Parts: sequence; C-alpha cells; structure tokens
Amino acid sequence: MPGRQLIMSFPVTATSHTLAEYRARGGYQALEKALKTMRPSDVVKEVTASGLQGRGGAAFSVGRKWQVVVYDDGQPHYLIANADEGEPGTFKDRWILEQNPHALIESMLIASYALNVRNCFVYIRGEFDLPYERLAAAVEEAYAAGYFGERILGTDFSCDIVVYRGAGAYVAGEASGLIASLEGKKSYPRNRPPRLTVKGLYQRPTVVNNVESLSNVAWIIAHGAAAFKEVGTPKSPGTRLFSVSGHVNRPGVYEVELGYPWMKFLEEDCGGIVGGRAIKCVVPGGVSSKVLTGAEIRDLDLSHEALWDVGSTLGSGGMIVIAEGTCMVTLAQILMRFYHHESCGQCTPCRHGTGWMHRIMDRIVAGQGRPEDIERLYYISKFNDGTTICGLGDAAGYAVSGILDKFRDEFEYFIEHKRSRCDGNLECLRSS
Amino acid sequence: MPEIFLNGQSVQAREDQTVLEVALENGVFVPYFCWHPQLSTAGNCRMCLVEVEGRGLDIACNMPVSAFMKVFTDSDDVKAHRKAILQFITLNHPVDCGICDKAGECTLQDYHYTYNGDASLSADQKVRSTKYYNLSNRILLDNERCILCLRCTRFTHEVSKSMALGVERRGDVSNIRPVEDRPLGEDPYSDNIVDLCPVGALQSRQFLYKSRVWYLKATPSVCPGCERGCTIQVWHRKPEWFLKSLDARQNTAIARITPLENPAVNGPWICNKGRDLSRIFERTRAVEPMLKGRPVPVAEAVDEARRLIGAARHPVALVSNWGSNEELDSFKRHLGEVFVHAHVKTDWQPEEGERIEDDLLIRADKNPNTAKARELFDETQPAYHDGTDLVLVWGEGYDFAKIPPQAKIIFLNSYLAPENGHADVFLAISIQTERAGHYTNFQGVVSRFEPCFAKGKHVLDAEALFKALEAPPRGHT
Repeated sequence: MPGRQLIMSFPVTATSHTLAEYRARGGYQALEKALKTMRPSDVVKEVTASGLQGRGGAAFSVGRKWQVVVYDDGQPHYLIANADEGEPGTFKDRWILEQNPHALIESMLIASYALNVRNCFVYIRGEFDLPYERLAAAVEEAYAAGYFGERILGTDFSCDIVVYRGAGAYVAGEASGLIASLEGKKSYPRNRPPRLTVKGLYQRPTVVNNVESLSNVAWIIAHGAAAFKEVGTPKSPGTRLFSVSGHVNRPGVYEVELGYPWMKFLEEDCGGIVGGRAIKCVVPGGVSSKVLTGAEIRDLDLSHEALWDVGSTLGSGGMIVIAEGTCMVTLAQILMRFYHHESCGQCTPCRHGTGWMHRIMDRIVAGQGRPEDIERLYYISKFNDGTTICGLGDAAGYAVSGILDKFRDEFEYFIEHKRSRCDGNLECLRSS
Repeated sequence: MPEIFLNGQSVQAREDQTVLEVALENGVFVPYFCWHPQLSTAGNCRMCLVEVEGRGLDIACNMPVSAFMKVFTDSDDVKAHRKAILQFITLNHPVDCGICDKAGECTLQDYHYTYNGDASLSADQKVRSTKYYNLSNRILLDNERCILCLRCTRFTHEVSKSMALGVERRGDVSNIRPVEDRPLGEDPYSDNIVDLCPVGALQSRQFLYKSRVWYLKATPSVCPGCERGCTIQVWHRKPEWFLKSLDARQNTAIARITPLENPAVNGPWICNKGRDLSRIFERTRAVEPMLKGRPVPVAEAVDEARRLIGAARHPVALVSNWGSNEELDSFKRHLGEVFVHAHVKTDWQPEEGERIEDDLLIRADKNPNTAKARELFDETQPAYHDGTDLVLVWGEGYDFAKIPPQAKIIFLNSYLAPENGHADVFLAISIQTERAGHYTNFQGVVSRFEPCFAKGKHVLDAEALFKALEAPPRGHT
C-alpha cells in the first residue's frame, strides 16, 4: 500500500465490518473521548486544525464548513453524509460503507455532537445493495450498543440517524440536489445564496459531507489534529481513497497518502498498465476533472496542490487510467452520453448544452462530423462554464474541452477521415 | 439603504432586494424568463446574468444587494452570455412563430430580436416532444415550445395551491406534466399559467387559433363575476381590422380576457370565470323596447314608462347590483324621490359547480357592485301589499311571480328573456362592454371600465334613461 493507512488500516475479512471487530480495533473510543472530554467547539477546532479537506470533489476545508454553523442559534441543525457516489470511475465510498461502516457512523456521531445535530442522515445511492445492507446492519448494531438514541454513553447528547436510499440520479449527489431529494422533491440543485450551512434541509442549517471526509473525523479525534497533519503534505494532509479503474493490471480501491508519487503508485501498487502499453492519459478524479496526459503525470505527486498546478483536480478520487490506442473521440462520446442522460434539466445551458454536445459527438463518431463541430464544442463548453446552478454543466464542459485541448488532432482526424485514428493500432502514433 | 452601482450609475437599494429588482425599479432592463415578482425565485433560465466587478457573472434574480457592489448589465461578457443562453433556449424550440398564438407578445421572440438575432448554430435534429398535450379542458401544452421556466408549476404550488403540475423526466426531455389525482381542470385559477408562460407552450383552448394578437386591442375593464371586482383587459378586434368576411358578431366578439395587474385588488391574477365573461356578455341580446311584448319605438316606450311612474301611488323599485356607480347615482338622484322603496336586487346567483369562495380571489357574492348598491338603497326584500301599483325591475334574475298581479311592471334588461314580453314596459339597456363606468368592490376600491363596442340602435344607457324618466309626463294623466 502506498504510504500510511488511516481508513483501510486493517485486513479485510468476512467479519471485519462488524461492531465487535471495529471495537477490537479501537473503535468508538474517539466518540467517548469527544463526548466526555471535549466541548463541541473543541471538536470543530480540532477538525479545522487538522486541515481535513472534503473528499467529494471540491476539496473545501471540512472545518471551515462546520464553522459556519452557529452551535446554539435555537434552530435544528442537520448533518448529511453524502453516500450518493455516482461520479463515473468513483467507487471509494462504497468500500467504506461495505468494509468500515462504523468508521462513518462514529464520525457522524462526533460531527453531530460538534454541530448540535439531533438527527443525521445518510443519503445512500439507490443502486448500492451490499453497502446499504452493511450500513443498515451497522446502524442497528450501533443502536443496540447505545451509540444512537437518547443520552448516548450516559451524556446529555442524543442523536438519531436515518439511512435514506436515493433513486438513481447523478445530480442528487450534488449537495443541494441531495437535500431536495431527501425532502421528497425532484433532485433539482438550488441556487446559492443562501448556502446550505445557512438554509439547507427543511430550510435549516445543514452540513453535507462526503462519506470519506466524515470517516476521517473519528481518526482525527482519536489521534489529534497534529498526528493527522503529519500524514500527507502540508497543503493536503491525510490520505485519500482512490478507486482505480481502466487499463491497469490491478484495479481497485487504494488508500494513498497524499503526496505519494503518481507513477510509482500506478506501477507498483496497481501493477502497471495492461499489456505494458504506454499511458495515454489519466482521468484523475472522476470524469468531471480534466484529463492529464501520460507525459503530464510523469513527475506529479498525488496531492491537491500538484493537480491544481496543472489545471486539474483530484476530484472524487475516481482515477481512470487510459492506455495508448484508446480512441479519445469515442471516450468523449461516452462521457457526453452520460452527462446528457444525467443533466437534471433545470437550467438552460446544461439542459440543452449537454444534449447538444452529445448529438455532436454521436454525429462525429457516426462519420458525419463537420469541421465546425470542434468550435461548437468549445462554444458550448465555454457558455456552460459558470452559468449553471450546479457544477454538472461546468463538468460536462470541462470534460469535453479537457479532452479537446489535448487530443484535438484525433477529433480532426475523425472528422476528416470518418474513422478513428486509433482503429486497429494499439500503439497509436501521436503527431505531437 | 445600501448604495450600489448599476452600469456606473449610483442607485439606492433596500437591503432585502435583489439586483434584478433594483435594476427594474431604476429603469435598467435586465431580460428574464423564469423570474416573476409574485412567484418564488427559480433562477433556472439564466437569462438575467449580470456581471459584478470582482465576482464575475451570476444571475441577478438571486443576487442579494450588497453595499457598493458594481453591477454591469451590458458588458461585452454579459452580452455574449445572453446571446449564448438564447442559442441554448432556441436549440430545441421549434420556432414555429407563424402558427403560434403567442407570436407578437412572446418574450422569447422579443429577446431573440433584441439580444441575439443570429441563426441557430446547431446542425442537428431538434429534440421532438409532445404537441397538443391535453392539460385540462381549458389548456393545451406544447412541450416543444416549452423552455421549462417552471412558472406554471410554481404558480400551481404557490398561488393556486392545486399542485397540479410537475416535471417529468430530466434533461432536455423534461416535460411539464399534470400530477396524478390533481387535475388542473379543477383549479379555478388555471388559466393564469397561460399568461405566465413566456412562450407559447401553454395555450388557451378558448383562444387557440382565434386571432393574431396584433389584430386585437385590450380595453381595461372590471370583471363583474363576483364582488372582488378584479381589473381585466378585454381583448377585441381593432376597428381598423374589422373584416367584411367576418360578420358583425365576429368582429365585435370578445376574443379573450386577461388580468390587468392591480395590486390593490387582484394582483396579476384572475380566476377562470373571469376569462369566460363572453358566456355572460354574449348571450342573445334584447335589442328593442316593447309594450306588453309589442315592439315599439324608443320614445313611445319611454313616454309610457314615464306615465306609469307619474301615475303610481305606491311604486317599488328593484335596483340592479350590476349597475355602475354612475347608474346607481343617477337612479338615486332622478328617481329616488318617486321610488322611496328601492331595494337592492341580486342579479346573479352562484351557478352549479362553481367555486363559491376561497381565500385568494373568489367571493361568494357573484355580482360586481353590491357594495355601492347597498350604500344607496335598501338591502331588504321588498314588502308588497294590495296597494302596490308599480314595480320597476332593473336587471335580470328576479322572479316575476313575486310581483302582485295588480301592479304594472317596468322592466329594464339587456338580454332576451321570457319576462321581457310580460312587462308592461320593457326597455333594452346596454351592458358593461358598451359603456364606461365604475364598480365599487367589497373592499371599497373603485375600478373603472371602458367601452369596447358600440351599443345597439334601440338600446338605452340606464344612466341617461333614469334622467329621462324623471321629467314630468307631458300630455298624459
């Protein structure tokens, strides 16, 4: 495993997800520590001091998000764990829900204590069957053990949890869309302001955190912010779970200490590229992050700041490795099909832009591309950027313009010759 | 009061305002589709994008005012984005203005000419969708024209509360659809969504393909459907567009009725009954005076009425609560001394199946001017006795069987009715669309209506008639 492990720090067995084994690993001691020795504000301070960044995509400081919530403003607060993991290529939260659900539950209890939350929610993706079963079982175990309900561990703190299964919309993974869905409405994302930490679920202050971000909280409370900061890089403390897929020999979920060299990770931990081919490009963190070519990642470390420097992001940790010989035009077509299908249709640029891009890509792949299509894709991408309510429209634009920036020649070739330049040759010769 | 800068101009704003509201208030037009002052902010059309110095582009309708912010509504970036948003909106819009009822008053049409003007950049097939979707027996939906601003769904959720509309599916195949078990047909305010629709997606069946809007003229009027007295616009053919190929009835028909915004009474809404006034006004009219069912010249009928009034010892009058303030005043002034017993008559009773009352607009009293009539005349029912020798009935809705047999009857009515022939004197009078006047609603708000059409040759205005009836009879006893 690359670097130190915080979440995947134990061997997975048939029973390693149970409460008994979690406690044997030292579980729920952080909860006890928080409830009995720390004030809620101390917990928020500790999490802020740890520098923990959101693991869902935006990498916003978890502690800063929590600080917006005023502890005793006289209204109910809500905490939601976003387990609607729908970004293509991302399946890391699934591992936590399946193999370490108590880490999430304990962390949610600590966060609820810190934020004065009486009811917290897990919004879990509807397609997740095993994760849901494991999480539901873990919640039952936690209730039976007295970690939920009234007066937890003999303190004044009471908390309940609801596990809610989504109905399969990608856009419900966006925090405000998730809240709309949880309220029983169509999962339309909402305009900001107001921010969700001011008016969220049922118009009350609501903190929505990714499953992985929350799962780090228990470790931070147990070991202290200073210990957490020692892991990773100064600007990106901690570890991240990467779900690696694509042309690698050993795809799967890996916990990587931030700052770990990227190529070393791919070659040693993931077993290198299938068939020993060269890396054509890598989608670093879910398809909404811009692709990086093999040359670009050669000397990069896996850390937020390194990725930001090259104009991309670690995003949701869904790493898709693409080997030479893969047709980027077809890849773009598949991505556009996804965004077109998942656009919620609320706001104009994304509703029509994603469909437009999808139709253009379909036409190019069908051999009916026109020379102006590339300009048109850039146009749509440009006017989707920053004009939509949520990030889906921007992401669709980034995805296509990211590929276009780096592989424009392949598009031009496809439009001119009505076939892919990668047809039949795995060691595709790139002109650049 | 925070000060903000709109295109460099300093303006004062209130703290609870959005940039869009401030801009519109100060005469800086920012285009929008989905925003509506009476509905919640959806912010989905993205048409009102403006630039804020240091913050880039964002939508004005959801942007709270902050002190000294510098807003640009016309920068090059804003213009480019508006153009692009219109490209997106018209991407799958059929642009079938030639056969669209909304053409001429369509927001999308106007914006396209003002802010875009370019042909579509797309070379692909448009997304096809349902046309003529039957939303209710009053409204048709064309999903291809729909730009999903969601004004209609918000209206049914927030104003009429029927919750009758929702969105089905997602992305560019999203469709407005009725919600199961909540029929839009039972929403008495449903037709407002036709006005709210910024494009021609929601079409009124009444008005469907009836006229191009530029042939029509909107005359301000007051809805007589209940004592709320909502201000309305009566749309009818402009006289210069009267066509010989249409008969007189078609040229002078009410084409449609829309609300006239009036914050004091009805806001921007009216109910469906108010849209159906042609059902009331376009009944067969009484066109000439009669004496016991025999048509006579106007002068003869008026003389006979004057003679009866002069001869009566115990006359009783039943005053219409559909009379305008001017007519009621005229009756009081000219005939008040003769008719000491003048009672308010309720012309119109609720119809079967009609919503009686709710807390939005509809009131239980289905007559427009009860407030003014009650102020001037007796509210009780008339008490007839053996000496009652004349009854003047003004307006419809009165059972003549209640009138004692010895009494003579003067009847003033606008419509053809069996009672007309039974009256000793029948006088045809004008209706609201043929004269100007005012109604006083139950809150005391006075609203004015204007004439739309010319009245018939032998039809009288009640206001002038009462004056004529006052003069002492000549040559009769």
